[in-house]
Amino acid sequence: MAKIRFEDVSKIYADGVPAVDRLDLDVEDGQFLVLVGPSGCGKTTALRMIAGLEDISSGRLMIGGEVANDLAPRARNVAMIFQSYALYPHLTVAENMGFALRVRGQPRAEIESRVKRAAELLELQPYLGRKPAQLSGGQRQRVAMGRAIVRQPAAFLMDEPLSNLDARLRGQTRAEITRLQRDSGVTTVYVTHDQVEAMTMGDRVAVMNHGRLQQVGAPRELYDRPVNLFVATFLGSPPINAVEGRLRAEGKAVSLDLGGSVISLPAETVRQRPALARYHDRTLVIGFRPEALALGSAEGRSLRGTVAYREDLGSHLLFHIDSEAAPVRDPSAVVALGEGEEKALSGDGKAGRLRLNAPAGVALRPGEQVFVTVDPAQLHFFDPATGDALYADSTAN
Amino acid sequence: MARAIVRGGGVPSGSAGKQGMRRAEARSILYRRVAVIVILAVFLLPLLWLLSTAYKPTRDIFATPPTLLFSPTWSNFTSVFRYFDLPELLWSSIVISLGSTVLSLLLGVPAGYALARAKFRGAVGVAYFFLAIRTVPPVATLIPFYILMRDIGLLGTWWAVILINTSLNCAFVVWMMYAYFRSSPISIEEAALTDGCNDWRTFLTVALPAVVPGIIASAIFCVMFSWNDFLFAMFLTRAETKPISVALLSAYGTKDISWGTLGALAHFSTLPIILMMLFLNRYFVQGLTKGVN
Ligand SMILES: Nc1ncnc2c1ncn2[C@@H]1O[C@H](COP(=O)(O)OP(=O)(O)OP(=O)(O)O)[C@@H](O)[C@H]1O
Ligand SMILES: [Mg+2]
Repeated sequence: MAKIRFEDVSKIYADGVPAVDRLDLDVEDGQFLVLVGPSGCGKTTALRMIAGLEDISSGRLMIGGEVANDLAPRARNVAMIFQSYALYPHLTVAENMGFALRVRGQPRAEIESRVKRAAELLELQPYLGRKPAQLSGGQRQRVAMGRAIVRQPAAFLMDEPLSNLDARLRGQTRAEITRLQRDSGVTTVYVTHDQVEAMTMGDRVAVMNHGRLQQVGAPRELYDRPVNLFVATFLGSPPINAVEGRLRAEGKAVSLDLGGSVISLPAETVRQRPALARYHDRTLVIGFRPEALALGSAEGRSLRGTVAYREDLGSHLLFHIDSEAAPVRDPSAVVALGEGEEKALSGDGKAGRLRLNAPAGVALRPGEQVFVTVDPAQLHFFDPATGDALYADSTAN
Repeated sequence: MARAIVRGGGVPSGSAGKQGMRRAEARSILYRRVAVIVILAVFLLPLLWLLSTAYKPTRDIFATPPTLLFSPTWSNFTSVFRYFDLPELLWSSIVISLGSTVLSLLLGVPAGYALARAKFRGAVGVAYFFLAIRTVPPVATLIPFYILMRDIGLLGTWWAVILINTSLNCAFVVWMMYAYFRSSPISIEEAALTDGCNDWRTFLTVALPAVVPGIIASAIFCVMFSWNDFLFAMFLTRAETKPISVALLSAYGTKDISWGTLGALAHFSTLPIILMMLFLNRYFVQGLTKGVN
């Protein structure tokens, strides 16, 4: 068991682009850290640097208080679960699980008993004599887990271990991994691009984008107080709504002009965000999560819009609404998401696209006009140029 | 046709088309089989002709037109044992083939692995350079090698043939194993590294078992090349160390040796290699197709 610490660590591949850019990150002893971000943001690279499978271009990597930059993988005593599982095809399940122990010269009886215990834990007993090719995807995934847990390593490193499973199995295994990690108390770094896994599994979540760490914190903290528009958009499903708005100040009262509708901001909201003072009479990006929206009536409305389409999710409906608020004009500069996500964020480019959840019984059809109320206490404010969230007057904390 | 009519009785008209299709399919299979047989005949007839001479009395061998029906004789086989020390010839062939195969694999497999996992871009070029070595005309290498072996005193020994066969076959093994290791997933080796293996142990316990078919295919090629090699063995061995291929091609006209006797001797030269191929055919085909990508 060990603490892992990145100190200003960079990885630059042969093509010169930094895959991981000056990463500073602490993983406390016994902690479950989820490393999340879009494809190509450097998650796997960071994980492989911990395992010793990738050279570190600059900076220091500490494992258990020691500089590990130049340690061979075998000297680091970390167990890695690969996205492809990387089971040894010529060995049986039992031999796969006992491999690391055999390499370390453990006595045969000890290996057998530990493999047996792990197999019981993962319900793999019936398959111990099989080769990996004779297993289903879910069983292979469990063997990969078994191979890691028989070892009692200093840390578990998991690279998208659930991405090859179907949705039902994924949900089940998610809970299983979380439980195993809590029981064993082994420091774990878990890489995923799935925001649901990020929100549900980790003690702490680190969000990366373009090789850079955006924010680290408890899942709730990241959800409620994202430091920038990227983190706000990345976490949460359906993603946060973002539109442009103008701040108006009349004396003490501050209100928000959303292109036709004006919402007055609660004094509390304004007091908590001194940074807003710099944006009076300026355009900024407003974010509100789907749960901050509700369908309303013409009186007391915040926004007017038209239903673009509806998705029936069984338990509830998800409406996509083209509102009168202006869309984020340059989402790529601020958000840097995948193309599809940019589109979802900005709609057709003319109207600010909103997503909102409604109870299953609501009978709205596409094309109908609706009124939406926004809970002003649940607004997020972002600088339109940098995407930084606006809280205290300094840069985002 | 009659069957089709009987069966077609209550079936809607659409099935007639289906049946026509099935017949066309059957015909295309027939054509393909005929083509295979013709091609096989073209390739196998010379060999069968050679082998058949072993069972013919001498006067039938030169008969024109060739006699297809003759009374078989075993006398050519008894001459083989009279004129040749067959066990010694076979032993030479085996030592030379296995010796150069083992050496080629010992050198070529690790080299192919190193190239496949090398982190520099020229690795592909180096691998193809090795393949190019195998395409050098053997005659071109013979004279310098002959002089070299003479000077270091290995001329006439098995070692001389083993070494030159190794130098050529090993190059081929490097290239072939390079292709095999490249297509074998690197992640299982990385798993072994994090599981506590050093590089050497990773190679032996994880990387090698994953490419066993490639190693067998390489071995087949090496055995085949060396077993059939005539040129090097001809010039680099003595009477006591010569393999069966040399005996086969250099014996005619000496002593009292007839075509029939050579036909009988050819059995011992070709059958072992054919048997090996039959047993390991699966790996051989894999080896041929793997290099393509
Ligand atoms: N061996 C390599 N050589 C050159 N560039 C690489 C190499 N491996 C990764 N990269 C680049 O480094 C960046 C980060 O890659 P990485 O695999 O860490 O992303 P990731 O966050 O794990 O993405 P994904 O979610 O798709 O797995 C990418 O832009 C990728 O193209
Ligand atoms: Mg990855």
